[in-house]
Amino acid sequence: MSATAQAVSREESPLPGGAGSGLYGWVATVDHKRIGILYLLTTLVFFVLGGVEALLMRIQLVRPNNTFLSPDAFGQMFTMHGTTMIFLVVMPVLIGLANYLVPLMIGARDMAFPRLNALSFWLLPCGGFLLHYSLLAGGAPAVGWFSYAPLSETPYASTSGVDYWTLSLLILGIGSVAASINLIATILTRRAPGLTMQRLPLFVWMVFVNSFLVILALPALNSAIVMLFIDRHLGTHFFAPAQGGSAVLWQHFFWAFGHPEVYIMALPAFGIISEVVPVFARRPIFGYEFVAASTVAIALLSFGVWAHHMFAVGLGHPMDLFFSATSMLIAVPTGVKVFAWSATLWGGAIRLTTAMLFAVAFLIQFTIGGLSGITFAVVPIDWQVTGTYYLVAHFHYVLFGGTFFAVFAGIYYWFPKITGRLLSERLGKVNFWMALIGFNTAFFVQHFLGLMGMARRVYTYPDLPGWGLLNLISTVGAFLLGAAVLVLLWNIVVSLRHGRLAGDNPWQAWTLEWATTSPPPAQNFDRVPPIRSRRPLWDLAHPENPDPPVGGRAARDGFVVEKNRVGMVSFLITESAFFLMLILAYLYYNSHGMSGPAPESLLNAQRTGLYTLCLLASSLTVWLAEQQLRAGKTVAFRWLLGLTMGLGGVFLFGQGREYFRIFHAGVLVNSNLFATTFFTLTGFHGLHVGVGLVALLILMGLAGAGDFKSGRIEAVRSIGLYWHFVDAVWLVVFSVIYLKLLL
Amino acid sequence: MPTSFNPIFEPASAQTAAMAGLFELVLVICGVILAIVAGLVGTSLMRFRARPGAAEPRPCFGNRKLEMIWTAGPLLVVGWLFILTAKGMQQADPPANQTPDILVTGHQWWWEVRYLPGGEVTANEIHLSTGRKWLVRLASADVIHDFWVPELARKMQMIPGQTNQLWLEADAPGTYAGECAEYCGAQHAGMRLTVIAEPPSAFAAWLQNQAQPALGPVSATAASGLKLFQTMTCVNCHPLRGVVTGASVAPDLTHLASRHTLGAGVLALTETNLFRWLKNAQAGKPGCLMPDLKLTDAQARALVAYLETLQ
Amino acid sequence: MTTAHFLTTAWQWNPRVIAASITTLVLYGIWQRGRFSGRAGWLLAGVLLFYLTLASPIDTLADGYLFSAHMLQHLLLLLLVPALMLLGLPATPVAGSQSVSQRPGAKGRPRRALAGWWLGMGGMWLWHAPALCDAAVANVWVHRLQYVSLLGMGFAFWRPIVGPRRGQRLPPLAGIIYLFSACLGCTVLGIIITFAPVEICSIYRHPVDRLGILPLLQNQWGLTPAYDQQLGGLLMWVPACLVYFTGILALFARWHREADPPAPVRDSPLTTAPGEKTHAW
Repeated sequence: MSATAQAVSREESPLPGGAGSGLYGWVATVDHKRIGILYLLTTLVFFVLGGVEALLMRIQLVRPNNTFLSPDAFGQMFTMHGTTMIFLVVMPVLIGLANYLVPLMIGARDMAFPRLNALSFWLLPCGGFLLHYSLLAGGAPAVGWFSYAPLSETPYASTSGVDYWTLSLLILGIGSVAASINLIATILTRRAPGLTMQRLPLFVWMVFVNSFLVILALPALNSAIVMLFIDRHLGTHFFAPAQGGSAVLWQHFFWAFGHPEVYIMALPAFGIISEVVPVFARRPIFGYEFVAASTVAIALLSFGVWAHHMFAVGLGHPMDLFFSATSMLIAVPTGVKVFAWSATLWGGAIRLTTAMLFAVAFLIQFTIGGLSGITFAVVPIDWQVTGTYYLVAHFHYVLFGGTFFAVFAGIYYWFPKITGRLLSERLGKVNFWMALIGFNTAFFVQHFLGLMGMARRVYTYPDLPGWGLLNLISTVGAFLLGAAVLVLLWNIVVSLRHGRLAGDNPWQAWTLEWATTSPPPAQNFDRVPPIRSRRPLWDLAHPENPDPPVGGRAARDGFVVEKNRVGMVSFLITESAFFLMLILAYLYYNSHGMSGPAPESLLNAQRTGLYTLCLLASSLTVWLAEQQLRAGKTVAFRWLLGLTMGLGGVFLFGQGREYFRIFHAGVLVNSNLFATTFFTLTGFHGLHVGVGLVALLILMGLAGAGDFKSGRIEAVRSIGLYWHFVDAVWLVVFSVIYLKLLL
Repeated sequence: MPTSFNPIFEPASAQTAAMAGLFELVLVICGVILAIVAGLVGTSLMRFRARPGAAEPRPCFGNRKLEMIWTAGPLLVVGWLFILTAKGMQQADPPANQTPDILVTGHQWWWEVRYLPGGEVTANEIHLSTGRKWLVRLASADVIHDFWVPELARKMQMIPGQTNQLWLEADAPGTYAGECAEYCGAQHAGMRLTVIAEPPSAFAAWLQNQAQPALGPVSATAASGLKLFQTMTCVNCHPLRGVVTGASVAPDLTHLASRHTLGAGVLALTETNLFRWLKNAQAGKPGCLMPDLKLTDAQARALVAYLETLQ
Repeated sequence: MTTAHFLTTAWQWNPRVIAASITTLVLYGIWQRGRFSGRAGWLLAGVLLFYLTLASPIDTLADGYLFSAHMLQHLLLLLLVPALMLLGLPATPVAGSQSVSQRPGAKGRPRRALAGWWLGMGGMWLWHAPALCDAAVANVWVHRLQYVSLLGMGFAFWRPIVGPRRGQRLPPLAGIIYLFSACLGCTVLGIIITFAPVEICSIYRHPVDRLGILPLLQNQWGLTPAYDQQLGGLLMWVPACLVYFTGILALFARWHREADPPAPVRDSPLTTAPGEKTHAW
């Protein structure tokens, strides 16, 4: 137990302090607690915006043939609502909670990379602002949140809305990936002594697994939107079928991101529930190992189900069947979790606080959403219900009734820790019942609307029997839900000033965040309690009946886990995924014959092979440089570093000459799909080489300033690793393009 | 308009009947699972509430056997569902190299319908004869659309750059509603389709009629309407066999008056609606690609008189 | 020819395969000195699967008829048979007090693991180069080389995961990365085969109907050459990944059971100790 709980006086801010005071302190902060709060506040703003967008749609749909919104305005509304809720609300709120809680739950002082953490946050309001700016600058995108091509290409989406969408998603994607890399490094390298991986709180475990999902899935989105952007602005035809492109490839690439994305939005929510339910049932989670393993299973399987969004595309029965099988399989680990949570309740001593109410509602609502999802995995059923309001009902049940109710539970659970005051239970119950009734009223009837034939994304509908009534009910429910959110906001405002003081551990919970004050001090912990099991605070409070120790004694194993290396490896994993997508696009387009410029006439493998050798040599020199630095020979280090940069520069020069030669032959990026894919793939690689050169230059400067004399050379090793990666990618690119491997 | 509209569970073809049957079975399975979970949770909430003053319950960390059961059990259910799926899909899609009977091309925001081998063209309405399966080939002239007639057939996307196929058949004569099910732009909601199934003799008569070129105008007003059609920009977009060939950006109007709706299902085809459409199509279907031709009332009435003769 | 008829009559009489199977079982029996534990079941399953792969109708179909059957053979020989047989070998027990890195044979692990991984992946990719693929179907010696090499590479691949010498196995988390990356590798190949219009094994595009079963395959089973290649790619991708995936889950369970968690943290010297004053970064 930590020192005395500090009484939070009226004069002090109820929110945690840190170095720096006032507004500037918040803007310049790198403290994970403040950044977490900034995430939560920002997502709240976007939640309200996205909610307004939804309510405007529900007003338009309240009766048949309504004229409240024009068709184009409606199109903008549903695109913005979907994009806002997914990228500006659900993902960041989960990352924000993780940001705040993970270091506390693992007994660390902060995240592994605090400044990167701040960057990740600030990319959120940037991206959100850019996206919403489109409303003022010619119109928001109106192509749906998954922006199918060719509807999103310039002939059909001629305003700049899609461009704002693309750029903001790139920015937001970078923020998400950075946050996930940070979380991976933090969880692997910042755990308190005794907190082995098997003893992690389930929230932390799920965030850990989830972070891998993020770094592997976002590159698929980034590659697709980069290609779309190039199509729209450089006249290329990646996704324009009329000129040889493929509309279906967009779908594959997007859903290769889109499906893991929905698990990215679900796993941390599962983590929240796995913390809340045990505490308010007064029992440890039932079957921790199975729940942890099922998380891994879900993460793995989530990459193998994407084409279940494409059963109506006509991929062929073998493909449909395989994706149907994997989609059904992924229900099994999800079911394991639901049963585990239910079994945790059984035999417990349940306290129905507001947090627990939301968690219990999650259990039922998520199950409903999951089951309707199973119906989609049965391909012939999907052929009837995809693209209808039945689908809209399904994903709102899992994302709102599921994830968002879990977030509400998390807010009620952790608000006392974050602010030092409890949220009002009275207002909380009002909030809960309004949300429960509002949500189910709004969305349950939508199942029926879909079964009755109402397609999604329609700005109006004919006066068919029952349609008007059900839409009216849905609109009423939506407004009730909106009111429930207002009650929550009111609860937060009121409780910040008049809420009951919470103390360190108001819920008698068992994980480490409750072993410090509420709110925690700047350094998080004065002293971390001894950790021998998954519930250190239970062990402290019940020394006569501690949890059986799990996760064994700490051992010295071969693995050295150092944060810079972990960070760099995670970054390289994400970049590999990005390059993989570009290479697959290259292979796809160039395995068909096509007219126009071809590699045989434009490229010279021998010449480029020589430049390739230069690049490979530069890998050798950077490795030698590292050895020299390790041996303390800084002068040799700087020479070798310079040589590396020189060789890299020669390679880039060679690439530049190649480009110049090709331009001279009259071939531009939009000449044909070979030219497009060639320039895109080699261009991005060249960009990575350039960034590498800049990084090497910075290292050179730091070495000159004497930074590495103390023997801390992790930065050099990490940049070296990056450089080797860039070379390895070139080997693959060279083989595929110049040596025509696999073609 | 149909009086009851529950298309998925009132199937009108063998294909959709199989899908509906499968759906009902799967819903029952899902209902059972939901009942189990809700039952567990509900019972817990009732039986295991915290009592003031009671000690903490004894920790229980799990039960391997139970966990295995609730992993294996769902695996078996899922296996069963998979077999049902595979069997359900055996209502196979048509083989790739068979000649289609009907070519449907999706446009923003109307349906072009072309019969083979005769080449009869119409728009926004498909007529079929009962008693046989029709092979429909789907294409798109612009963006991705999705062909969906819930009572008769599965959904299938219409993707520019590739063709897809499905079987369309109706057990009994009747009018069946369809729509586009993939967002395709502003008037995605206004891209509705009517499928009319008729006994073979009636269908043959209809098809024969559709094969005829446009009838000549029968009154003076209609004649002036035809003149307007030819001199104003109508001929640039709307095919009208016997009057203009080549254009096909907009619906074929050769037998407009034999159809039931206007604007791809957005309005009923009446004289008033036709008049209103010609005066200001944007009011009826905002965002549609038909421009405002700034017709005077007299001009519009003349055109209506002509168009009404195109049975 | 009906499916039932085909399945019951298309078995091969292959003396070499029978001899190899029986020899393996006999050798195992001698090694175990007639005392069989539950483990023997794994070995038996492996040998049985080996026999099925090379002597059942799968082999008949793979022999010039169906690319997907050919792919199934590969997967069985590379992924399943070696794993099952390795599981059947008695494991060398490890003294509980030794840490993982002190166990005998631990030093060469990374090199062996890397070699095993490359051999496993290489085997998969190599035999799908169109020239080699066709050669294997056309020439019986290349075919035999293919089988033997697949088995060998499969053993090399699985040894770091389920090899009998516990000390030489990879630590569970490393094993998870090993299998996951292998899964990625086979996914990429599977995707290429499924979607590419390039013919991987052109011989299967125009099968020669020695047995009169083409109508059965193409009409009754619906396996046209286009679907057949798609199916082959999907087999390489989905079931193969499921095998890796099962391995990953098993490793995860092993990790939880084992008493040696990964090493904690070597902190960067700049990390503040608890209680030490922090500076604003």
